[in-house]
Amino acid sequence: MTDVPVLDVRDYSLRYATTAGPFDALRSVDLTVRRGRTLGLVGESGSGKTSLAWAIMRYLPANATELSGSIRLSGEDLRATSAREILGIRGRRISMVFQDPSTSLNPTIRLGDQLAEVLVRHRGLSPRAALEEGTALLARTGIARPADMMRRFPHEASGGEKQRVVIATAIACNPELIVFDEPTTALDIVTARQILDLFTRLREETGVAALYISHDLGLVSRIADEVAVIHRGEIVEQGACRDIFRAPARDYTRDLMAAVPRPDVRIGTPDPDPAAPALIDLSGVNVRYGEPSPLMRLLRPSRTVVQGARDVSFAVRPGELLGVVGESGSGKSTIAKVLAGLQDFSGTVAFGGRRFAGRKAFDREYRRRVQIVFQHPDGSLNPRQRVGEILSRPLKLYGLVPAAGLDQKIADLLTKVRLPPDFATRYPHQLSGGEKQRVAIARAFAAEPDLVICDEITSSLDVSVQAAVARLLVALQRETGTACVFITHDLNLVRQLAHRIVVMHRGDLVDQFATGDARAPDRHPYTRTLLDAVPTLVMAET
Amino acid sequence: MREILRSPPGIAGTVLLMLVAGAVLLGPWIAPYDPQAFHTTVRLQGPSWAHLLGTDQFGRDLLSRLLHGARSTIAFGLGATALGVAAGAVIGVTAGVVGGWVDSVIMRILDGLLAVPDLLFTLLIVTVLGGGTGHAMLAVAVAFTPGMARIARSSVLSIRTREYVLAAVARGESRGYIIAREVIPNAVGPIIVEATIRVSFAIMIGATLGFLGLGAQPPSTEWGLMVAEARQFMFRNPWCVAVPGVAIAAAALGFNLFGDALRDSLDPRRRR
Repeated sequence: MTDVPVLDVRDYSLRYATTAGPFDALRSVDLTVRRGRTLGLVGESGSGKTSLAWAIMRYLPANATELSGSIRLSGEDLRATSAREILGIRGRRISMVFQDPSTSLNPTIRLGDQLAEVLVRHRGLSPRAALEEGTALLARTGIARPADMMRRFPHEASGGEKQRVVIATAIACNPELIVFDEPTTALDIVTARQILDLFTRLREETGVAALYISHDLGLVSRIADEVAVIHRGEIVEQGACRDIFRAPARDYTRDLMAAVPRPDVRIGTPDPDPAAPALIDLSGVNVRYGEPSPLMRLLRPSRTVVQGARDVSFAVRPGELLGVVGESGSGKSTIAKVLAGLQDFSGTVAFGGRRFAGRKAFDREYRRRVQIVFQHPDGSLNPRQRVGEILSRPLKLYGLVPAAGLDQKIADLLTKVRLPPDFATRYPHQLSGGEKQRVAIARAFAAEPDLVICDEITSSLDVSVQAAVARLLVALQRETGTACVFITHDLNLVRQLAHRIVVMHRGDLVDQFATGDARAPDRHPYTRTLLDAVPTLVMAET
Repeated sequence: MREILRSPPGIAGTVLLMLVAGAVLLGPWIAPYDPQAFHTTVRLQGPSWAHLLGTDQFGRDLLSRLLHGARSTIAFGLGATALGVAAGAVIGVTAGVVGGWVDSVIMRILDGLLAVPDLLFTLLIVTVLGGGTGHAMLAVAVAFTPGMARIARSSVLSIRTREYVLAAVARGESRGYIIAREVIPNAVGPIIVEATIRVSFAIMIGATLGFLGLGAQPPSTEWGLMVAEARQFMFRNPWCVAVPGVAIAAAALGFNLFGDALRDSLDPRRRR
């Protein structure tokens, strides 16, 4: 039987010329996707997975050189096709769905026109017929009022709706292969789940082959038939999804799987004394964004005010790790800013027996005892200061160590976060993302705080680094007894770490429970939606 | 620096600037004649072995005048830019850091000033203050201030919301420390780059003022003035206009190309 695979990549190597010398992005990659099957390509950032996607799409930057190998689409070598022929293949025989629908759609063209463009171009439909066909396609992707959506501009649609339009465009010409590059990463948990369901349904309906690129093993284990694990440009392991996740053959795959957060494996500290008085107590905290000045109120009385947080109250006990979860825009980062004294609010924050009624009331003593670690390690360290100077600031500011002991203290701090002491002389750009985040954590703990606010500190890191940073945080908590407010959208991770969890939704605190009761029947419906939406790693029990 | 020399425009700019720098530093010593000496027998001559670039209407050696004039011309460009950048940076950083209505008022005033073309603005100031090199330099500096302030402000605004600045605020750092150590070092890049590009504008405006008789006065060897003085004799010896003209263009181009290359090398997104 001549079963020609839809996509067949053989011995493919790709090199980039960079100012730092040649960089091998892909090394002798072999991949096969058969008709109607989904291959999940899993790897960390910088592993070469996106380079491979671009190589398949024949859209490589000028500094890329293909060293060897072939890329065959249903037997036809794509490397041998001319630039003209590629234009006929892209969009018609291979299409691609990108990570962020807000940047992959042109903001100045109506959604319908963007969708119809593909149909006019590749299927030769008249503009009118293309619009009708487009509406039908949108209906297939589960958009409630497709004709209405066709007339909207991208900014008038939600992220999930836009991604549906992108997917509708991708399936418009019944392609042989669709390349998905992390299509749910930029979306909210609940929306991402809906897009995944749509993906599964469309795949069954159309029988299209798919290459699904992701860093999320849990997600891939749910949707892929086969999995290829890529590490530093090499495919380390490839096979049926079930086999690989049941019995990974390679150490790298095993490490990657061990790093995936699993809610049933606790790594947090033991529960703090429930009778202890609260360390920090928020009551009735309100944050309003875009509050108009008295003058503006006269000029434009109808101006809307966004409520960042509405009447939020919760308490954290000494040594406790409180998880705050919610989608983007739910107000969880607003709460972090309130606690760190970066955001004006009304209501009261009681801390260490004192009550603060607004941002300006926070004094230096409060600011020393409450520290914050931000999401982006690239953004939270001053690029012009060496690590040593960054760490010395809180020590000098709060007068914690005499000048003579400063260098020793910085070395101690670096050791504490498992970094070599000679990192003190480095600049942030010489460090990896995980190392930078460790420095940021060291800076927070340098102030000897009672409470550390962690605002999505693991979300911009790779899975394996994420696990290490989470473990480090718990270890530091165990050593110092510091309480922690851990803000995240990763429910699996927070269930491993937190003692209690609060759930936020559109500025409201909707639920509050001990971690062990996450599946209890009296949970708020929204909590249940969130929990159900999160893909966990499907693994046979060992 | 190595980044700058990697691009052809960067190399061209650096070479031009080195030539200009050579003239500024060594000009008076390597000039073959006294720039003011009249050689009445060889007036308005084209290039020859005795006078490599020819002579002007009084028989003065053009190469010597050019080499002597480099110093005042470039000094004018650098001086005017330095003054304008300093004033603009102070105003822009103040507006960006203080924010609120102070920012709004400052920026609306600057918007008004920006609507006036640089040259017209300079002419207005010189008319009020009176001519002369010092006044012309001041006028160019004042004309540059609004644009520089805008750039400084937008640069500060983009840095002010970075997380390392928020971290410093959350720590309870003083305002002075945050501005001096966290904001300014990261905001100066675009200001420096804009300044190098502005030097070429300053040289050109300075030359224009010299040409109009509002800047340097005869017998100065300032390049713009050289063009102005030679204007009437342009058809008898085109060299006496072309030589200083090309010199102005070369210096301006040098600063422009160098500034562009500097901007590219400082911008990590443009690096490969």
